[in-house]
Amino acid sequence: MILQAVVDSLPAYRDFPLIGSRAAVWIAAEIHLMFAAFVLGVPMFAVVAEAIGIFGKDQRYDRLAKEFTRLLLIAYSATAIWGAVLTFLLATLYPRFFAYLTAIFGVSMWVYVSIFFLESFTLYLYYYGWDRWKYGRAKVGHWALGILLNLWGTLVMFIADSWLTYMMTPPRDVTPDTAPGSIKLWHAIMNHTWMPINIHRLIGNVVFGGAIVGAYASYRFLAAKTDEERAHYDWMGYVGNFIAIAALIVLPFAGYWLGREIYQYDQSMGITMMGGFMSWLWVIQAFLIAVLFLAGNYYLWVGMGRIPGAERFRPYTKWLLAVLVLGAIVWGTPHTMIADSRELAAMGGSHHPFLGALGVMSAKNTAVNLMILTTFLSFLLYRRANSRPVVPWARTGTRIQGGMFGVAAAIVLFYGIRGYFVEAIVRIGYSVYQVGAVLSCIVFVTVIDVLMGRGAQSLGAIQWGKMPPRSQYALFILAVTFTWLMGLMGFARSGIRQHWHVWQVLPDTTKYAATPALGQAAIMISVCVLIFLALVGFIFWLGGLAEQSTFVPPPPPRPPAPPPAAGKEAQHVGH
Amino acid sequence: MWAINLKVLGVVLGTLALYTLIANKIPQVQSEVPRALTLGADVTPEQLVAAGEQVYQGAGGCTTCHGLGTRAPNLLTDAKGQGPIGARCGRREPGKDCKSYLHEALTQPGAFVVPGYEPIMPDMSRTLSPQQIWAVIAYLEVQGGTVTVSASDIPAETPGSRPGSAGGSGPGLAGGSTDPMTVIHAAGCVGCHKIGTEGAAVGPDLTHVGGRLSAAGIREAILEPDAKITKGFENFAGIMPKTIGDQMTANQLEALIRFLAARK
Repeated sequence: MILQAVVDSLPAYRDFPLIGSRAAVWIAAEIHLMFAAFVLGVPMFAVVAEAIGIFGKDQRYDRLAKEFTRLLLIAYSATAIWGAVLTFLLATLYPRFFAYLTAIFGVSMWVYVSIFFLESFTLYLYYYGWDRWKYGRAKVGHWALGILLNLWGTLVMFIADSWLTYMMTPPRDVTPDTAPGSIKLWHAIMNHTWMPINIHRLIGNVVFGGAIVGAYASYRFLAAKTDEERAHYDWMGYVGNFIAIAALIVLPFAGYWLGREIYQYDQSMGITMMGGFMSWLWVIQAFLIAVLFLAGNYYLWVGMGRIPGAERFRPYTKWLLAVLVLGAIVWGTPHTMIADSRELAAMGGSHHPFLGALGVMSAKNTAVNLMILTTFLSFLLYRRANSRPVVPWARTGTRIQGGMFGVAAAIVLFYGIRGYFVEAIVRIGYSVYQVGAVLSCIVFVTVIDVLMGRGAQSLGAIQWGKMPPRSQYALFILAVTFTWLMGLMGFARSGIRQHWHVWQVLPDTTKYAATPALGQAAIMISVCVLIFLALVGFIFWLGGLAEQSTFVPPPPPRPPAPPPAAGKEAQHVGH
Repeated sequence: MWAINLKVLGVVLGTLALYTLIANKIPQVQSEVPRALTLGADVTPEQLVAAGEQVYQGAGGCTTCHGLGTRAPNLLTDAKGQGPIGARCGRREPGKDCKSYLHEALTQPGAFVVPGYEPIMPDMSRTLSPQQIWAVIAYLEVQGGTVTVSASDIPAETPGSRPGSAGGSGPGLAGGSTDPMTVIHAAGCVGCHKIGTEGAAVGPDLTHVGGRLSAAGIREAILEPDAKITKGFENFAGIMPKTIGDQMTANQLEALIRFLAARK
């Protein structure tokens, strides 16, 4: 009762000078989230890299993992600072809403800080023990610390996700009259969108971690003073880009699950998201993802210039580019959008002919699946560029691979075209067949390729470092685009609550309750991305200031050294 | 080094500027907070239409589905030569004039679903006040027709007339009638469910529902429609309104459950 009396005596809201309370919380939450994605994505990257170093006996990966763990130390502080800023802003600007959340989630908040504490000290152990536990069992134990670090990070994220998903999809038995203290914690956590958001963010963090690693490597590549250093950071950029694009391919499926859960929870919320005032947001999203596909593929195609033997695949790139551009155009075609009477009159009716043909789900699913197949083909060509299989069944294997691509593309096209002639309910089911065909193709073609690559004849080592600078700017564009896309999707997720703090339970009655249009949201997103990237740049600079890069130039060779790009770092044939 | 830094900064700022510019060039739509509407006894048709347009384009969220696209009929443009909604509304349902039809479409959307469309229209009385609903009707009438809504149609605003305030303690559906078929019609069940020869086959057939569901199962299906989805109807999950039970009195709900459970 005392607690309730305290809550009742709180003012509902306070305002923030100049930019207003909503903008203040928006910036704090967005930048905290971006740093959180960074400190969750990069440890995943580091622990995988360390494992490759241990089990593949390739020291480069171990050095790579350590280099990024060093940056994590500073990034953790930044994450915690922005988290504290967000908490203080919420507690002072939205005191009643904050009190409402703490009444339900108080216990989970205590657990959250405890795990964050454990996570921080695991990170210190992980980093500072790197050189102490370097060999044998101790090294495996050190790697286990990395896994533990990821486990803590994932738990922290899952707890924070429960708070924000409760705001979107509170359990159905919670009404405006339900006392927050009477809501069971686990009941509130296990809300409709909790697990889909968890999975979506988990994969998204891998993408983000890969993209940031790529951007870091590209900057160091451009600033490199020696060929060896350039070769090291060229390789690092390739690894970052590979991880980001590989995880990006899976991300839409997690997004599809999340969207489906939102529709199942509340049809009108789903319609608001996909067809309501947010309908244009998906056109912008399509544009951004087209940029990601094009920049990722461009980087691979330019990268083939440093691989002996790749020239035989070069004529195909223009066709790959054509498929990607056409796919992007179709994917970016709007379907349902808000139009007022004047716009409808100007259109001459309710349907534009192009929108009817290309803006529908059949066309979009076909386009995106073909873009994924094309990107995978680009990667496959890159992978095989400098090797010639020697297994006796190599020709048959290649034909089977080609056949798999053909069958997958045919299935995607068949169901895409057939989708125009069936009802919506049947059409939705077709996307499963299309996705299934593409994923099966990726899995089976990769398995065949790995088996076929055994003992393959090398056509020459990859000349790491021999990349034109323009390719590195593609990695920057990828990192900026991933970060901006994350801000945009955050706006979509949060914006569908419209004028509710907690959907249909706790209304927002501030003067900022109306959900802003996309233009204003884009300005906010760009400001947040800029602040975040500036701080990340500062962290990278600090990392370089405190300690030299973990790149270690090879010892003076005896007899005389080979040409720089063909040194130890450049001798690696594989990818 | 400075040249590299400047180039990197240029790429970052250029990319951000491009995305911000594109997002600002597309149509800008803000999701407004629904506002209370006060219409006096001397309200003019022009004032009603103006208020209705604001609700239609904003807080009502009508353009979400009735805009450009195939999800729901477009109301502001011609449909199959019949003109905009104001011109065709009087011919939609036999025996219903334009005003009555539009009121039914907004407050009991399941009662009549335009052929070729799915019954996804929500009951707008959950989110709009009666004043807002009548203003929207006036706005729709004027699209190819004339306004027949007048001040006498509009109830005075009381705390109880606000959306969602009726809860389960009000008089219930159809004036509190406990005749099951009257309740079924008033709740718009036949918009999606078949009962005997009546109704549409969007949701599970209720003709013999008592044979497959107990009284408790029927109660759950009404009060928590998504708790268990009938096999074969998974893709329609989420369509059935979750507030139908709230709109009935306890007597109506029990009468309806007994009636359906007896249909073996």
